[in-house]
Amino acid sequence: MKSNQYSVKVYETTIEDEEKFIEFFDMNYTLFKDHLIVIQGDLSKKIEEYLNAKSLTYLHNISLPKGRSRKSLEKEFQEERRQNAVSIQIAEAELKRLSSRLQNNLTVLDKMIRSGQEINIDGDLLLLNRVNSGATLNIKGNLIITKLVEGLIHCNGNFMMLTASLKANIIFHGVEVENGLLKNKLNRVELKNNEIIITPVLKKEISWA
Amino acid sequence: MGIIIAVISGKGGVGKTTATANLGLGIGMNNQKCVVVDFDIGQRNLDMILGLENRVVYDMVQVMEEEASLKQALIKSKVNENLFFLAASQSKDKSVLDSKKVEKLVLKLKEDFDFVILDSPAGIESGFEHTIEFADAAIVVVNPEVSSIRDADRAIGILDSKSNKVKNGEDVAKYLIINRIVANMVESGDMLKSEDILEILDIKLLGKVPEDRGVIEASNRGKPVILDKKSIAGQAYIRISARLCGQQVDMKDIEICDSGLFKKIVGMFT
Repeated sequence: MKSNQYSVKVYETTIEDEEKFIEFFDMNYTLFKDHLIVIQGDLSKKIEEYLNAKSLTYLHNISLPKGRSRKSLEKEFQEERRQNAVSIQIAEAELKRLSSRLQNNLTVLDKMIRSGQEINIDGDLLLLNRVNSGATLNIKGNLIITKLVEGLIHCNGNFMMLTASLKANIIFHGVEVENGLLKNKLNRVELKNNEIIITPVLKKEISWA
Repeated sequence: MGIIIAVISGKGGVGKTTATANLGLGIGMNNQKCVVVDFDIGQRNLDMILGLENRVVYDMVQVMEEEASLKQALIKSKVNENLFFLAASQSKDKSVLDSKKVEKLVLKLKEDFDFVILDSPAGIESGFEHTIEFADAAIVVVNPEVSSIRDADRAIGILDSKSNKVKNGEDVAKYLIINRIVANMVESGDMLKSEDILEILDIKLLGKVPEDRGVIEASNRGKPVILDKKSIAGQAYIRISARLCGQQVDMKDIEICDSGLFKKIVGMFT
């Protein structure tokens, strides 16, 4: 069986004034030629001939499956954008708050840590790229990583903020942090009164500017 | 003055030698002078895949030791007059390679050819390091599976720290070929998607080659699959070679899931 799935634009209308209809279609022909026209109600011979002459694809009196109107799609899109903006604000505020706590010997790196590479840092690290599977980071201070971690991390600072995949191995003060606890998109891991506290900062993915 | 391209992968068996042979022929078909050099000392294969097994008299080690001239050792392809081949030694091992001698050889080839393609051995030992040392660009060949991706990642890491160009503060251009893609496995989620591979490796995509049974048959017969116009892998290599020769060729989607779901076609009954 061979089948294809298409998304098609549909223009649904009821004809009241034939002259007006033809005028409207003539004016917007370039737009409508790629649409599927659905005529509800009466369809006269004249209109039929007109549509055929223009080789427009049309259907007469059918019930369409319920699609989403453009307005509701726009609304959905706006909501998504709004939520995204909120997410970015939360993340940025968090990053700002924490990065002000990155101070002793801060190193900022924007390179991908590839498999087999080992980075040893005495102070704090702000890493703006990925840590690939098979790579190792040994950090004595605090740590912030803004992209996905798939490698091995040893961190002995007061806190770290990162996103870990299930392949990653995260060790904080000698204790292995369960990957399942880091499944959120951005997590803060802190040491408070000899206890490791994991706080999810963001539940969904955002794209950092 | 040409360009030296190292074909690397880290992991063995992903299709480096097959890719080298096909790209060499493809470049030749685009009327550019090309030489393919087998750097896998002690385990040469490229001669068989090119069907030039019986023509090998002198090898690259003999040229480096000045026991033979380059002209004597270069073997012309039977199917394309622009393609030449320099064999690896089958009796010696990697330890015979030496930076100075390798440099002299590849720079001489670079003067005479438009493309010098070096087929690297698998792994990241000295043979691999000599292959990448003087390369201007690298083609990384991977299969869509995790072990191949991690080994390639490692190889790229070494390329970025040990090649001569990087030591001089320049960049080595890196291009990716994803080999042996099985479309319906990608679609069902059992095989890594190329977008995921590109995100992990973060280098430029040169092309995707689908799994094709014809490749093995072609290798066994010594006629690279690019010569078979009907083969899907052959067509992929034709597109990749054209891109290497500077032509704009659109990336063809050989992963069904990409083309099926997001096909944007209007006009249901036309």
